[in-house]
Amino acid sequence: MKCMRIQCRRRRQEPVPLPSRGASTERIKLTMTRASGRRLRAAAAFGAATILVATGCSVSVKSGTSNVGPTTLLVGGADSGTPALFKNFNPFSPNKRNLTTWMYEPLEVVNNLNSAETPFLATGYTQPNAETVDFTIRQGVKWSDGKPFTPADVAFTFDLLRAHPALDVNGDWQHIRSLSVSGDHVVFHLKSADVPAAKVIEQTLIVPEHTWRDVKDPVTYTNPDPVVTGPYTLDHFTPNQYTLAKNEKYWQADKVAVQKIVVPGSSSDLAIATQGYDWAYSFFPNVDNTWVKADKQHNSYWFPPGGIVGLLPNLTKAPFDNLDFREGLSLGLDRQQIADKAEQGYVKAASQTGLLLPNEKSSLNPSIPDQGMVSQNTTAAYAHFAKAGYTRKGGKLVDRAGKPLTVTLTTPDGWADWLQGAQEIIEQLRGLGITVKLDKPQPASYQQDLQNGDFDLALGTVGGSGSLFQDYNNLLNSDFKKPVGKSTASNYQRYGDPATDALLDKLKTTSDPTEQRQLTDQLQNVVYQQLPVLSLFYGGLWGLSSDKKFTGWPSQKNPYASLMTWGSTPLLVMTHLRLAK
Amino acid sequence: MRYILRKFGLLLLTLWAAVTLNYALPRLMPGSPADAAVAKLSQNGPVAPSTRAAIEAQLGVPTGSWWHQYTQYLDNVVHLRFGVSYTFFPQSVSSMVGQALPWTLVMVGLVTVLAFVVGSLIGVAAAWRRGTWLDSLPTLSGAFLAAFPYFWTALLLVFFVGYVFGWFPTSGAYSADAVPNLSFGFVGDSLYHAVLPALTILITSLGGWILGMRNTMIGTIGEDYVTFAEANGLRGRTVALRYAARNALLPNLTGFGMALGGVVGGSLLVEQVFNYPGVGHLLYSAVTNHDYPLMQALFLMITVCVLVANFIVDVLYGVLDPRTRR
Repeated sequence: MKCMRIQCRRRRQEPVPLPSRGASTERIKLTMTRASGRRLRAAAAFGAATILVATGCSVSVKSGTSNVGPTTLLVGGADSGTPALFKNFNPFSPNKRNLTTWMYEPLEVVNNLNSAETPFLATGYTQPNAETVDFTIRQGVKWSDGKPFTPADVAFTFDLLRAHPALDVNGDWQHIRSLSVSGDHVVFHLKSADVPAAKVIEQTLIVPEHTWRDVKDPVTYTNPDPVVTGPYTLDHFTPNQYTLAKNEKYWQADKVAVQKIVVPGSSSDLAIATQGYDWAYSFFPNVDNTWVKADKQHNSYWFPPGGIVGLLPNLTKAPFDNLDFREGLSLGLDRQQIADKAEQGYVKAASQTGLLLPNEKSSLNPSIPDQGMVSQNTTAAYAHFAKAGYTRKGGKLVDRAGKPLTVTLTTPDGWADWLQGAQEIIEQLRGLGITVKLDKPQPASYQQDLQNGDFDLALGTVGGSGSLFQDYNNLLNSDFKKPVGKSTASNYQRYGDPATDALLDKLKTTSDPTEQRQLTDQLQNVVYQQLPVLSLFYGGLWGLSSDKKFTGWPSQKNPYASLMTWGSTPLLVMTHLRLAK
Repeated sequence: MRYILRKFGLLLLTLWAAVTLNYALPRLMPGSPADAAVAKLSQNGPVAPSTRAAIEAQLGVPTGSWWHQYTQYLDNVVHLRFGVSYTFFPQSVSSMVGQALPWTLVMVGLVTVLAFVVGSLIGVAAAWRRGTWLDSLPTLSGAFLAAFPYFWTALLLVFFVGYVFGWFPTSGAYSADAVPNLSFGFVGDSLYHAVLPALTILITSLGGWILGMRNTMIGTIGEDYVTFAEANGLRGRTVALRYAARNALLPNLTGFGMALGGVVGGSLLVEQVFNYPGVGHLLYSAVTNHDYPLMQALFLMITVCVLVANFIVDVLYGVLDPRTRR
């Protein structure tokens, strides 16, 4: 039996138009359990898997994934073909095969866990002033067809994105005014003083001019025979799975131990647990008793925080526009309990600083107490509610006119873990005397509600982009503050404060680390004190690995990357893995 | 002839209504395709403003007044132009449907025919030997199985037959490393993969045909002409099949026509459980991703097939039963 088709994970079941997957730093999978109509199926499957694994029942399983040898890596949950895989290796396409990013390389890879940059097609960059970024391009790199890689390829790629804005999923040309090539340097002239732009630009995947020059319509081009600089090339493609083979011309071929990668178009949790997967990205319920128990000696998991799941208060509405009221809410919630209910105890409550801990611990503002963790204190909460004009009467929180307070909490339907978290929030708020109505629209409709500001309280994600500037800018910049009813792309809670904008502007233009540090400290204060979002818990990155065949996986001890299977960080992993002895 | 023309006119009118509904319904869903895409992205972290712009540019999300979009849509429908799928961009809708349809037609179609033939035969036998074990066994188990939800039957099969015993593959329509072609090996491989989904549909739909056939058959057996045939000393099988069953089949035939029309819609739950690359699976993807072009093409195909099947049954009835022509 091959892949037991029992999945409750959105990601593998539905082809997701993810234009920026892999292209941007902001793609961190925060949430996974999505029951939808498949909940029963999933439940039964997990029951089945648990029974089998728990009883140690040995079932002879015919592997449907052939060609799995000792140097071949089998990766699960990395791509999904519904109903079949389509050959699309256009690195800028929304529906590209996910492992396209294991083949094409950017100038530098950013580890979104701690913002660390690793040079790939560039050897480094300098910022002679805040309006210029100067990348030094690596020499001696060859495309997989043998032609040399040159700075002209870099220039060609960015020109391609300018000519076709539909391909510019990173938004490079919102930052770039022009670029020039001189020797092995590619120099970007920016539209304004814009230090963080380097981190956006460097993550763009570079394509070869000699094969892309003659492509008539790059937007619909599916790039069936990718010519790449990366560690792997396309080996064999069928509608149910594809394989990648090591690129022998790779410029750091000596660091690549895995000779072949097998990517099934579907891989259920049951298959992942029983069929010798080496690497998988999947939210396993009760992971110790399923994935780990399947092979205690080799299987492990690591769920580092990849972003913050928070409660967004609509700041255009009363009483959420009142800071005391938000303080009351914040102090009234037991965050760890919400985290445990939602994510099965896999993640910690989140710091109110907007930072991901422990990854970004070095950026913490030391003057904020207890690393920004807010613990429940109902007495203090009622004091703040009272200042906001709400007092307790007969177990209910009532306003000055004596009317009981009723609020609506919006969360997308089908995201089972968030729904669990939302239920817990509702319980806790009810304990405080607030009546909460749960509104769970379809995801698309939820998105529209967020963008238009049509909510009281909503669950949403913030942070984790791998750039502190991006994180705080998306959360706080008043450029995004549109009137309710008008769509905005970020800052859905509609926070706006000239002093905060000034901090962001300064952070955007300074390249002095000391000044940057002071500014991010102040921005942490803003989030901690003004509560534009109530951070609840961290969204985990649900990576599973087995060191049966390969060692050198990233872990809490060696967090050189996460175990995300999409985006460019797998390049880091594939150049770290070694054959197990 | 006038009867057929009248029915045909009615067919055209329902077609137009269906096509128009088909245009309106997906658009009444809250949120746009770009919203659906951004919602998915936002699970991965806040979405940069540039990304939404790029998504809209890539998908070519429709603009203009609803009237303009509607006339354009009618024009496209008439010329069978269904455009490019949002979900599977840049694949065209026609190619997506073309790839999914054969799997559904062969698997669901064959099973529907098989269930009808086998179910009706068992129904005949049960009615003919009513009161014996040949009656009670299929009737009871038929009623029992028909009450099973599709997905539950599918899950039981997946777990026991597919996983515990490992007899049949539980996912997909063919092996992971196979490339679809018409070779002997591939057809064998896909038949092997079709066993469990086909069995699921067979088990859950058989009961309905058995019960339906048995009940009308029992009514027919009481008719005078059956008694007369028996009195004339005709063989039992001849009486059962040629006299009683032939007449009892009429209402079941209507149901069969409808079922055949519905085959193109696929069997959503079964296809989902078994990850079968058919129309039902495709429809689910289209709906969850707000893929208007794909949704419209699929709904249109399903409505047209059901309407045409209805029309054929209507016409057949007119031929078989003169009373309906008036």
